[in-house]
Amino acid sequence: MTFLSKAAGLAAIGISVVGLQAAAQDFPERPLEFVAGYGPGGGHDTMLRTMARLMEENDLSPVPINVVNKEGGSSAVAMGYLNAREGDPHYLMSITSSHIATPLTSNIGLDYSSFTPIARIGIDPELLVVNSTKGYESLDDLEAEDRMLNVGGTATGSIEHIVTMQLADETGMELNFIPFQGDGEVVTALLSNQIDFAITNPGPVADYLDSGKFNALAISTEERVESLPDVPTFIEQGADIKISLFRGLTAAPGISEEDRQALTDMVTKLFETEAWREEYIEPNAVVPLVVTGEEFADYLGETEAAYRETLGKLDMLSN
Amino acid sequence: MDAMSNLLMGFGDILTPFNIAIIFAAGLIGTVVGALPGLGPSAGIALMLPLTFGMPEASGLCLLTGVYMGTMYGGRITSILINAPGDAPAIITAYDGYPMMQQGRGAMALGISAFSSFIGGLFGLLVLIFLAPIIASYAIYLGAPEYFLLMATGLATVMLLAGKHLAKALLVTCFGVLVSSFGSDYVSGQIRFAFVPELIEGIDFVAIIIGLYGLGEVFYNLEKKVKLNLGKPGFRMREFIPGRSELGEAAAPTLRGSVLGTLIGIVPGAGATVATFLDYALEKRLSKKPETFGKGAIAGLAGPEATNNAAVPGSLIPLITLGIPGSGGTAIMLGALIMFGMRPGPLLMTTSGDIVWAMIAGLVLANVFLLLSNVLLIPVFVNLLRTVQGNLSNVVIALCVVGAFSLSYSPFNIWIMLIFGVVGYLMKKNDYPTGPFILAVVLAPLAENYFRQSIMMGQGSAGIFLDRPISLTILIIMALIVGLSVVGRLRPKRRALAAAEEGE
Repeated sequence: MTFLSKAAGLAAIGISVVGLQAAAQDFPERPLEFVAGYGPGGGHDTMLRTMARLMEENDLSPVPINVVNKEGGSSAVAMGYLNAREGDPHYLMSITSSHIATPLTSNIGLDYSSFTPIARIGIDPELLVVNSTKGYESLDDLEAEDRMLNVGGTATGSIEHIVTMQLADETGMELNFIPFQGDGEVVTALLSNQIDFAITNPGPVADYLDSGKFNALAISTEERVESLPDVPTFIEQGADIKISLFRGLTAAPGISEEDRQALTDMVTKLFETEAWREEYIEPNAVVPLVVTGEEFADYLGETEAAYRETLGKLDMLSN
Repeated sequence: MDAMSNLLMGFGDILTPFNIAIIFAAGLIGTVVGALPGLGPSAGIALMLPLTFGMPEASGLCLLTGVYMGTMYGGRITSILINAPGDAPAIITAYDGYPMMQQGRGAMALGISAFSSFIGGLFGLLVLIFLAPIIASYAIYLGAPEYFLLMATGLATVMLLAGKHLAKALLVTCFGVLVSSFGSDYVSGQIRFAFVPELIEGIDFVAIIIGLYGLGEVFYNLEKKVKLNLGKPGFRMREFIPGRSELGEAAAPTLRGSVLGTLIGIVPGAGATVATFLDYALEKRLSKKPETFGKGAIAGLAGPEATNNAAVPGSLIPLITLGIPGSGGTAIMLGALIMFGMRPGPLLMTTSGDIVWAMIAGLVLANVFLLLSNVLLIPVFVNLLRTVQGNLSNVVIALCVVGAFSLSYSPFNIWIMLIFGVVGYLMKKNDYPTGPFILAVVLAPLAENYFRQSIMMGQGSAGIFLDRPISLTILIIMALIVGLSVVGRLRPKRRALAAAEEGE
């Protein structure tokens, strides 16, 4: 089994053979590489490909951009890949909650602080969604049911699960979280009333909300969001829940301050364009709340703390 | 009929030289991609995705769906010629296709399967065109309990694939369940046996298939010094265009396979795979000569081939009517729809109906192109194999390694493939059936997860299987089948003969 441990060593610990190179003044000196930790066609991949296309169309990058997929291990493989590029600023990796959760649930020897956080692109709030035929209008209506409610979401330990657990704590409702594989199965289960409500991002249910088949009763942001002005927050309804999925970008560890700034400028210019809003933010129902640099690193730290607490309760921490 | 005029409008959109060329190219690319072990529909669609940027939406979608359909045609080629299925729905094709190849009827196997694929695809498309909204409105009432029962039924076909040694079949089934349990379990959130990070998401079953069948076969043939019976070089039509007798034998299985594939293809996850195995089991049961199955039976080839092609339009039904992807390939298409600025969901047909109908018309055209090109290309494939037959082992190993690498563009899956190549060789040498093993690898995790989901939905009670009308119906049918077969076994007479041939 020596080859397995060798593969593990290369991928996870990421021996830094590349070393410090690429002096700051000549960055970028070759094409940039956008790293997706998941396969082609997934959320990470489509986001990075849209970014690459728009950056080239709007002349925001002086060099060409390649998107590569380093899938496997719930983003652990891509983390190992990027960590091995220490000091090289030509790489940007897309990250979401798995960037925080995977290091907590499995022992990969890396976490968010093993990288250089660049920017949070926005957040994907969690909605509490019911089937309109049930006639629920608010959280109170759900509480009034006074029985154990079935809740659908993706995967145990996911952000949907965390919201469900917090909701049970805050309101005293009896909630039975049922993990589904993927948003599609959650939508199907809610359509046919196999679950009482779902916790989900706006994207997969946007059309169902517009057509009135589903009804959103609460959103997990601190204040109401522009795209869904009629949906009250959990906080408004007396449940202190403010946790969302984030989408962001991180770079290789140990890059210079100048290079970090150059990467940050490059992407924030893109985020200000009309094309980005029209072609990524709106179709994916992302709330564009950009934070950069140390502020983003602090946000990642807070998110990790929230995950650590909930995953600890579920006995899912690896150490 | 509304659907008809919409479809004609769709044809109006795509009958431009550019779109016709795109659809033709998509079919060919899909055939080649599907023929390479390891590269299935997901990889094919993903590879083409960047090319669709800058194309009009309808052309881009035609390219993607054309490749999807093409991979289903292509998957059968390597199954039949070198016993290396490219993807799970093509496994069963190798069961009777490869023996036909070994008997020198490889060209005919390709011909028959091309026709069944065409009919399967056409049937699925007709259902998609005329019945999609109705089917989708019923399909949503299927949930975890029904999916579990379907997976359990699929696993039960182990008995039919067992061959001579039932004990050995059950043993490899257990081994398959063990192999499938690696990786993260989304129901409990726990991670099992992840010794290296690549194992967090489990072992890719496509790498297992390539190793088990492709590489295992090479090892076995090298030891036995097997020489393929490829016949004389020839390009005569009657060698590969099925005649009246072959078509007669293939007709009924093809139709049954088409229906089964369209209906079960809608089930998310392993719909197409389960459908092919169930169809094979059905054909073996209905056949007057079940003993020929696994030795080159035309019915055993034609039925499942129609099934896996019919599953393509079947899996598109939930995608275009509800925005819910039913397979790996359609999950990537969902991403593509979003990138084109369309909004997949219940309103897709209203907001972007013209584009969707153009895509459906493109699929109809692609299916016709695929039949023609696949039939005309048979002599090329067969004679290509003939020219390399002296070095066939090297070629197959190279294809297997490239295929395994391409699964996640890392060498990790090559190791997995090599390990299961040795496993496949040992199984074949010691007469352990591989079918039950691979079926367990694909279906066991789904069955496990759906079972636990069902119990969770029942808030701890197994009564949910009886409370839901559809799952109750499936249970009653299963009980009837078991009951009838027990009664059948007890009766002597003609059953005794069949049992003797099938059993000891």
